[in-house]
Amino acid sequence: MIAPFPIAFGSEEAFLLSGLVIGGFFGFALERGGFANARKLAAQFYLYDMTVFKVMFTAIIVAMAGFYALAGMGLVDASRMWINPTFLWAQVIGGFLLGVGFIMSGLCPGTSVVSMASGRWDGAVTIAGIVIGTAVFAAAVDVFPWLEHLYEAGGEVSILPTLLHLPPWVLVLGVVAMASGAFIGAEKVERIFQAKYGMIELTPEPTRRMPQTRLALAGTLAGVVVVSLAFKTGGAVTAPAPMAAIAPLDVAEAIIARDPALVLFDLRADRTPRGIPGARPLDDSTAAAVLAEVPANARVVLFDEDGTRQVTATGWPGNVSYHYVRGGLAAWRSEVLAPVAPEFDLESRAAAERQRMMGAYFSGAGAVAAPPPPARTGGAAGGGGKKRSGGC
Amino acid sequence: MHAKSYWNPYLAGALLGLTLLAAFLVAGQGLGASALPKRAVAMAANAVAPAWTADNVTLGRYVAGPAHPLKDWLVLEVVGVVLGGFIGALLAGRFKATVEKGPNITVRGRLAYALAGGVVMGVAAGLARGCTSGQALSGGALLATGSWAFMLMVFAGGYAVAYFVRRQWI
Repeated sequence: MIAPFPIAFGSEEAFLLSGLVIGGFFGFALERGGFANARKLAAQFYLYDMTVFKVMFTAIIVAMAGFYALAGMGLVDASRMWINPTFLWAQVIGGFLLGVGFIMSGLCPGTSVVSMASGRWDGAVTIAGIVIGTAVFAAAVDVFPWLEHLYEAGGEVSILPTLLHLPPWVLVLGVVAMASGAFIGAEKVERIFQAKYGMIELTPEPTRRMPQTRLALAGTLAGVVVVSLAFKTGGAVTAPAPMAAIAPLDVAEAIIARDPALVLFDLRADRTPRGIPGARPLDDSTAAAVLAEVPANARVVLFDEDGTRQVTATGWPGNVSYHYVRGGLAAWRSEVLAPVAPEFDLESRAAAERQRMMGAYFSGAGAVAAPPPPARTGGAAGGGGKKRSGGC
Repeated sequence: MHAKSYWNPYLAGALLGLTLLAAFLVAGQGLGASALPKRAVAMAANAVAPAWTADNVTLGRYVAGPAHPLKDWLVLEVVGVVLGGFIGALLAGRFKATVEKGPNITVRGRLAYALAGGVVMGVAAGLARGCTSGQALSGGALLATGSWAFMLMVFAGGYAVAYFVRRQWI
């Protein structure tokens, strides 16, 4: 029996309100953990207070074990979960930079909000900096093409169990075991470095040290995980079947070439802004039926607004190949329809020429007849897909 | 009123983990923080230069649809973080208008570091499509490959630079 997941709210207001409530618990837990205090967070990097590591990894193992256990028991359909796509180099470099900013400001984006909410000026100033940095990055990707390439490279959904060819429960137990070992290590390291720096008094005084209690808690957590996984009834936890990305220009070429295998579907709930020509609407509830009529060996190409919505081919016909348009309709507009700047160097001239040709074709200026307009059947049926924005 | 002690970190972590699990189950996505600055910047840019905003690869998606850029689950979630953090600090007697810093730096110096660190994090969260909340915590709990790479690099970046900014803290 699969639980309704994610919960289908009756109205958008109720859905948004759930965010407010869950965010409230998030902020409360962070504050109670001491995450509103930049000194306490920064101490993580001088090793005399490892609260950041302890709180973060306890939270990760609780949520991870809970989610994978529920999915393993077949209670939730993991393929409907939004999982952060992997843009490896952007995440490696962005992660390093975020660590640098973290130790400079003493806060990360989430904790700066809590810090500000508890009256700290350094929290408010950090938020101002984050807003400036966000605008700087948005402007920078337009100025430096290499940065845009770095930002856009990747986008496949990859989870560690699939990557390492291990059953999820092995990974879950592995992370719990590693974290528990690291908790014991963290308690020891803290004692060594507190002696080195002298007991640094954080406002207010830290709790009296109770390593046994903490270890017991960590152990209990591990126990809970083992027990919940023991109830695993075999429902396989699979990552959303990785669907190959296809560049907007390649889609454009296939349309112009009247590729008979190409079948385009529009996943957007609201199809008022014009989509890719020739696309038919598709929503979750009718997908399997609609796709059953697609000819064998078809190349099914799906798109949404921005390429963030994830679709899994669960229950869909297996004799066709599925692709999604990288960057969605937004990328289609910017990479196919947008006029190309003339000042391209020699290397990219061919690419620019290609885009100029496609742009001309789809804006109707080309000599070739335009393909049939997108079929519109009925209204935008079903609010199947909530718009998902990238991470945090 | 004397401020209360912080919770045992494992207890705070467990509550945080249950909250994250609730977000997974209720909304089908994790928690986040940098969505609000991103959407706020998109909204401001859209007011000034709508064509540029729509074409921008980082901001375009937020103004693509007919919906208001701030009408989003993650935005309301961050508003909840403000309320939850405020209530938590108030009830524990920790709400105080002050600046957290080490003994060896002036308030002005500390705020300059906070601003500079914020700018670096704004760029970083833009590039990595998320921050410690959306990538490291939420993606980490889902065992997303890129999120784990991100998380390890956050710690690497922090430890790599900690020595050079130590006067701020110790």
